[in-house]
Amino acid sequence: MLSDPGMRKYLVGWALFGVALLLFPQVATSGTLRIFIFANFIAIFAMSWDILSGRTGYISFGHPFLIGIAAYTSAMLTYHLQTPLYFSIPLGVIATMVGGTLFFLPALRIRGTYFALVTLAFMELMYQLTQVMRPDITGGTRGLSGLPTLLTGALPNYYLSSAVMFVIAFCLWLLIRTRLGTALSAISMDEDAVKSSGLDTTKLKLFAFMVSAFVAGVGGTLYVHYLGSIAPRAIFDINFLFTILIAALLGGASTIIGPIMGAFFLTFLLEYLRPYIPGTERYFIYGSIALIVYVLEPKGLHHIIQRLYGALMRGKQA
Amino acid sequence: MSPLLELRNITKRFGGLTAVNELSYHVEEGESLGLIGPNGAGKTTTFNLIMDEFQLTSGQIIYRGTNIEKLPTHKRVQEGIVRTYQVPRPFHEMPVSDNIRIGMMPENIGKMIAEAPDPDAEMAIARSVGFGEREFAMYPGELSMGDLRRLELARTIAAGPKLLLLDEVFAGLTVAEIGQITELLLEKRKDGLTYIIVSHDLRSLAPLVDRVVAMSFGALLSEGSFDEVLADEKVQEAYLGT
Repeated sequence: MLSDPGMRKYLVGWALFGVALLLFPQVATSGTLRIFIFANFIAIFAMSWDILSGRTGYISFGHPFLIGIAAYTSAMLTYHLQTPLYFSIPLGVIATMVGGTLFFLPALRIRGTYFALVTLAFMELMYQLTQVMRPDITGGTRGLSGLPTLLTGALPNYYLSSAVMFVIAFCLWLLIRTRLGTALSAISMDEDAVKSSGLDTTKLKLFAFMVSAFVAGVGGTLYVHYLGSIAPRAIFDINFLFTILIAALLGGASTIIGPIMGAFFLTFLLEYLRPYIPGTERYFIYGSIALIVYVLEPKGLHHIIQRLYGALMRGKQA
Repeated sequence: MSPLLELRNITKRFGGLTAVNELSYHVEEGESLGLIGPNGAGKTTTFNLIMDEFQLTSGQIIYRGTNIEKLPTHKRVQEGIVRTYQVPRPFHEMPVSDNIRIGMMPENIGKMIAEAPDPDAEMAIARSVGFGEREFAMYPGELSMGDLRRLELARTIAAGPKLLLLDEVFAGLTVAEIGQITELLLEKRKDGLTYIIVSHDLRSLAPLVDRVVAMSFGALLSEGSFDEVLADEKVQEAYLGT
């Protein structure tokens, strides 16, 4: 792997990214670190969406459904049964993978808009159920608060969220560079032609889904035990869904690095707009910016940066 | 010895339309069979049925002595039945090398992740259809129709076919390209490949086939050598309009 100069270049990039994450607190205020923590979580969710939807072309509108299963499972276990976090978090992740598969597996047999609509329906269903079904357990409309947190303070949470985001990103990046990544991309281009090449696309999609659910589960449980509270409106919210989606699309779907860029860009944009436009009008600004970037370069920020880098290198050589 | 593939009274109905009607024919191992008929005769539908891209309404498909109606498409491919499409369907955002890689993938996901691709084997397949290093790195959008047909062939060959279903393999090609593809197919036949070839281009089909099946309105019209079938009055009436 290291003998390949192309690969070496990427690994150096990853190492620099890791070092930058490590050193960032030296120059950042605690407020900025808190924005960064949120951006890390959005990046994790966006990567989770990307490995399923960006790769295979199966656009999921129900990702908060997966995040929610994990977050609620862990929250309820710790709140009602005082389950230690090192048990509740893995159980939350497993619940997302199993529960999500039960719902998504039949849906993976349908395509395009229908898949997107069915997954959106899952999210809405979960939103309604958490409010009306056993509110004594789920906390109903108000949700649950006073949940145990893994760590306290901006700096430890920054390091934890950055480390998790970095490890997930690196592992997913390695995964998509294998033949599996090639096969998943081919599904998004022509699923029937993939079948005609002798590959079981249902199995491939299920694998992508399981990875996606695992990442969503890890992100969801850590997120809820960072916030210390959970409510249906915070998780199963259309704005939350679109933040994840736009982060992935704006950054560059199907690239892993793109969704991270998109998540950071969007989170910081929203935060820096806050003093000037404190209301929800901010979303109009960010929606407009996302739309402009997407129209100008449908492959996203990742592609724009790649092109600039390519031009810079060519300029140096000339 | 049983035929490599046998269709027994296969029927496909789409609502009130019968696209394939009680059709039976077979192909022997190492044989090259031409499948001809006017537009809408049901030739491509037959391929879709053989590959499980459409489900049979009734009938049997027997491959190497075993009923395969219950096998999904990818299992049939793994058994050695592979097809090309009338309009080539490459993976447009991947270079030729990756297109071939898809055909060579192991079924096991663990192996897909753990085992590195084999660029030498991929290149060997590319060379076997007449591609060089330059084409190997090109994207489908940069290829001519002739090269797209080659790419389609390369991907199917990569899947390890025993029976190759070629759908309108000469469509949209120049005379020179037809000559190159014919040569390629004749060469592959020497390796023991069995073909069923659908083509409207009868002149190009002639040197490639041992036997011909003519279809019309989803049913078998005539069967025999190329000359016999073309001389058949029913075929001339239905297919050539004379």
